[in-house]
Order: sequence, then structure tokens, then C-alpha cells
Amino acid sequence: MTRDQIRSQVEEVFREVFQDDALQLEEQMTAIDVEGWDSLTHVNLIIALEKRLAIKFAAAEISRLTEPGQNVGTLLDLVVRKRSKPA
Amino acid sequence: MNVASLEWVTGLLAASAVFFFLNSVRQRQVCLAVFSVLFLMTQSVNGPGWLLLVAFLASGYAAGTALSRYPSQMLLTCYLIVLVAAFVIVKKYSFVGSLVPSSVLQPQIVLVGLSYMLFRQIHFVVDAQQGQIGTVSPWTYLNYQLNLFGLQAGPIQRYQDFAESFGQLTPVLEDRTAVLRTYLRLFLGVIKVLGLAAVCWWAYTKVMSGYSTSHGWRTGAQFLLLFYLFPAYLYFNFSGYCDIVIAGASLLGLRMPENFTHPFLSRNLAELWTRWHRTLGLWIRDYLFTPLFKALAERWPRSSKSLAFLAYFIAFAIAGLWHGSTWNFLVFGVLNGLGVAAAKVWEGLIIQRRGRAGLKQYLQSPRIALAARVATVHYFCFTLIFWSNDVTTSVMILKRVSNALIS
Repeated sequence: MTRDQIRSQVEEVFREVFQDDALQLEEQMTAIDVEGWDSLTHVNLIIALEKRLAIKFAAAEISRLTEPGQNVGTLLDLVVRKRSKPA
Repeated sequence: MNVASLEWVTGLLAASAVFFFLNSVRQRQVCLAVFSVLFLMTQSVNGPGWLLLVAFLASGYAAGTALSRYPSQMLLTCYLIVLVAAFVIVKKYSFVGSLVPSSVLQPQIVLVGLSYMLFRQIHFVVDAQQGQIGTVSPWTYLNYQLNLFGLQAGPIQRYQDFAESFGQLTPVLEDRTAVLRTYLRLFLGVIKVLGLAAVCWWAYTKVMSGYSTSHGWRTGAQFLLLFYLFPAYLYFNFSGYCDIVIAGASLLGLRMPENFTHPFLSRNLAELWTRWHRTLGLWIRDYLFTPLFKALAERWPRSSKSLAFLAYFIAFAIAGLWHGSTWNFLVFGVLNGLGVAAAKVWEGLIIQRRGRAGLKQYLQSPRIALAARVATVHYFCFTLIFWSNDVTTSVMILKRVSNALIS
């Protein structure tokens, strides 16, 4: 699966989790830019991504994604890495 | 040895003056390891304590190595159960007496810093199992667990961060100003521990000794003193300790995580736990709350919102019990779980009534921010009554003040 294909799947997951059909993912987006992206929906987002893309996030990775400097781009990079090496 | 003692501070300053004259990273690592062992030898550790330490470290390294090579959920679960059960028995938790034979609880095991080692160990084996730690080196692992700057009371550093810093051991203070700032922080830490915390503790014990026999308005006044003095003591003592060890570590080229970032400016209890003893708060989030909530939400996705509250309670109750082996720490944990859950409910209510835009507006209001900060600090001070006293004494304190207010 290419990065673009993964990106479109991730975008679909975001739309489902945040219940916003118009949501367009951009690499620089952070939790502040997505309405409703808080600590609880972050976990729901992780669960949905794991299910859709058949991957598994580590505890350290889940929290690292919420740290300053992390954004949708770093999330996509991580998903791409995980898809290339299935759990 | 206390980190605020003259011996420790002078030893540290002397060591930092010559440390970087050592040519290689390996020489510096050996030097640091010697300091850690010497420091450990000055701490309270008895014979059984040394045996326990060896078993603890050997099992942690073996489990971490095995799990990073053969990531097995079952092996991890078994190891964690044994590890936590051993900790509960060694710490002689109140409820253990009815579960295990008294002969098991007989040996007096004294080992300083065991609670903090446990947190580091759990993080280490979980991350190893989940592929977050590359090659595990016994040398780095031992130095990680016995690091003199985190041995007594944290901060709870992550293995990866320690390994990166320990692998380089180059000066981390970029210029003279940074070095002077670090000295200043070190001495401010000493002043906090030996001056401010000591005064608060002296006043607290003085007020506490007369509280049970006081009457009328004196009870109310003394309650207020108790209410503020203990949190002030705890803050100065613990944040002062952290100032000393974080500054001390950076003088020897080690970066330690911050543990206190203006906790009394927190707007709610969830935020407070990312500012007060923040390495513990983040540990609770990463290794208790998130895995628990994730497991519950996966199992019952439709009830995930309400299950989050259950996860808060369980995570904070366990964290409360980690602080001490008596019931009052459980109450402290549950009250904090309640506070975090209440903050989430409140946020949910605002969103329900005013929408996300309304929440943004609400959060931007300076008056609301002030009210939220005052409320958070006071609620946290209230929970600390149960941290500083057993349940009976805590209830007595609250009963006396409520009787005084009513009459």
C-alpha cells in the first residue's frame, strides 16, 4: 500500500471518529486543528486506526503522538512504517 | 545520604569540576556508575534488601531481553503479575496480611527507591515487549535503574531517554550562563528542602499536635493552616529535591525529565497531574490509563465515554496505592480519580450546552481561568489530607472542622 493510499484510509478513519465528513487531512495538522481531538478521542482514533489498517501501536507510541511537535504527518509516517512491517 | 546535604552537594560540585576531564565516554560512564554505587551504599539497604535488589535487577534485565527478542504478551503478563505481587508483599500492604501466611511477611526488607524502580521496570519490560527498546545492554540497564539522580524519588525517566543521554555523556550546558543557572537551581533546591520545606513541616507538626484539643474558631484557623502547610511542605520538599537532582545530573552530562512545571497554575486535576510529579502523571497515563481505557473501549465501543471514568478511577486508585501501603493512599488516589473524572464531565457539559466554540471561549476567559485554578489547588490540597494522615486521623480532622463550622 502506498503512502497516498494509507493517507486516504487514515482520512476516512478521522472522518468516522470525529464525525466530520468534510474533514481534510493535512500533514501539519495537530490536535488543536481538529475539533474534538482530546485525550479520549485520541485513544478512540488509535483503536480505529489499528482495526482499519491491521496494525498495533505501542503504549509509548500512543503517548508520543500527543507530544509537542507531533502532527498528522508524523502519525502518517508511523502508520506507513507499521504497514511496511506488520505487527 | 540526603541530596540536600552538604556532603552530597560538595561531592557533586567537586565531581562536576573534574568529570569532563575524563577522556572517553566509557570512563565517564564508569565514573558515574561508581558514584551511583557509592550513593546506594549510603542509603538504607539491609541484607535482604541487597538480595531483593539483585533479584529485581536480574529479573528485569532477563525479562526485558527475552521480551525484546521474543515479544510475548503472556510472558509479559506473567512477569508483571509476579513483579507486582512481590512488590505488594515486600511493602507489606494492609490487605496482604489476610492473603498470605505471616511467615512470608516476616523478613524486614529495607531497600530505598524500590517504588521508583518498579515504575521504571514496568515501563522497561512493556516497551521491550512492544518493540520500543532496541538492543538492551546490561551496562546501560543497570545504570538506568541505579542512577543516583533518580534513585531516591525519581523523576521517573524512560529507558530510551536515559540510554541516549548516557551513551553520549557530553556537556549538556551550552554556555557559562547555563552553567550558572544550573548552580542557581541547585542552591535554590537546597534552600527549598532545608529552608522552606523544613519550616512548613515544623509549623505543620506544631499545629497538628494541638489540633485534636482545640475549640471554636481556633479549630477553623488551625484547619486552614494544616490545609495549606502540608501541600506547601510537600511541594517545596519534592520540587526542591527535583531541582537538585535535575541540576546535578546536567552538571554531569545527563538530562533528567522535569517533574514540576508550575502545578498550582493548573486549571483542572487532569492538567495538574501533567505538572505536579509529572513523570508519575505521564506514567499513569501511558501504562495504566491508556491501556486500560483502550482495552475497555475495544470491548465495549458504545460505552467508551462512560468507561473512561472507570479507567480514571482504577488508574488513580492504583497510583494512590503505589504511594503507600495503607488505606489512606487508596482514598487519595480515588479522590484524584474523581477529580479528573469531574473535570472531564464538566468539559462535556460545556460542549453539550455551548458547543466546541463555546468551550474555546470559556477556556479563554481570565476570570474562569482564575476560578478554575483556585478550585483545582484547593481540591488537590483537600486530597492531600489523606496523603499525610491515616484514614481515622483524616476523618477526625474533617469532622472537627465541620463541627466547628456548624456550632
